[in-house]
Amino acid sequence: MDTKLLISEAKARFNHNSAKAYLKEKYETRLIIAEQGGLWRANLETINFLNGSTAEFVILVDTFENPVEVNRKELLQKLVETYDTVMREWYNEWIDLEKKR
Amino acid sequence: MVQRMDRLREKEMSRGALLFAFNSPKYNYYKMAEFTAKRINHFLGLPVTLVTDENSLPEVPNFKFDNIVLVEPDKNNIRDYTVWINKGRYQAYALSPYDETILLDTDYVVNSNKLLQTFDLDTDFCCHDTTSFFMNPKASQELLSAYSFKTLWATVITFKKTQRAKQIFECLEMIQNNYEHYANIHSFIAGVYRNDYGLTLALRIANGHTMVKNDIIPWNLMHVGKNTSVYADNNNEFNTEYTIMFDNWQRGKIRKEYINIKDMDFHVMNKENFMELITNE
Repeated sequence: MDTKLLISEAKARFNHNSAKAYLKEKYETRLIIAEQGGLWRANLETINFLNGSTAEFVILVDTFENPVEVNRKELLQKLVETYDTVMREWYNEWIDLEKKR
Repeated sequence: MVQRMDRLREKEMSRGALLFAFNSPKYNYYKMAEFTAKRINHFLGLPVTLVTDENSLPEVPNFKFDNIVLVEPDKNNIRDYTVWINKGRYQAYALSPYDETILLDTDYVVNSNKLLQTFDLDTDFCCHDTTSFFMNPKASQELLSAYSFKTLWATVITFKKTQRAKQIFECLEMIQNNYEHYANIHSFIAGVYRNDYGLTLALRIANGHTMVKNDIIPWNLMHVGKNTSVYADNNNEFNTEYTIMFDNWQRGKIRKEYINIKDMDFHVMNKENFMELITNE
């Protein structure tokens, strides 16, 4: 299937809002990781809390709303890695999408 | 719960996927299952067991399944004026040869390794409770009926061989066998049996008439829905890039709109479109 031909013959318009929503669905999903017996979202709130604490172990409520005791440094490292990788990919795909305007 | 799951993992769990496919006069579900199984092998690295019937087996198969389990299908379900063999999904627990199983609909396009993450969730049974449509991201969620529960989706279920998972599938069987009764209670139409509705009620019953957050896959099930078609961007066997085309009706006219997607799983609701997709790939 030559989709470029299909698009031009159908005179289809690129739907920027739907594409943006698709990217959000795709990359928010990838920000979720299972680690140390809990399920975590690599978001700024969790990363900032872990970064600000000095304790070796902290108790956090995971995305399933269960309290879980975690090794702070190990979880922080994993979340930062995930955040950096996923947000870089999201950004790159977003830039490609912007070019279609 | 965490300790119990850790003990289970220590035992070297076998993992695999399970598909149900029974051809109808209108659609070749076996062919759909072959397409989906190839992608499961490729993207998830899992063996696939197929549950089917004698009549659906092709003369020249296009894919070698890990196992093929032949069962007698229950043809007592009609949709769009044709037989739709979707009953008997409760047998998944008994028929799966794996300790940990991903049970998928055959019209689910595996396009990433995302589903492997469902094995890491701290639960022995999980499914989707929220969907999103590619070209209609604000679409409302389906309910069993106006005043009933939010529908769970049987499109993707990951389960482990535990007593609780067994009970959930037993409840599913009970609901299938008494579907009209449950339809009366929850005010939905009993005419066509839907596994989604059966699952919604079965999981609640097994959980003591409540919902457990751990049983929900923590991302949305992506649908290619009504007035929407999906096309592969190239003919490679394991293509990951697709164009989603949408007929947007405005003032009696269709305005075609599209987006491009890649590396993301999706469920194709339109069977004709799915057949077209697998024929071209």
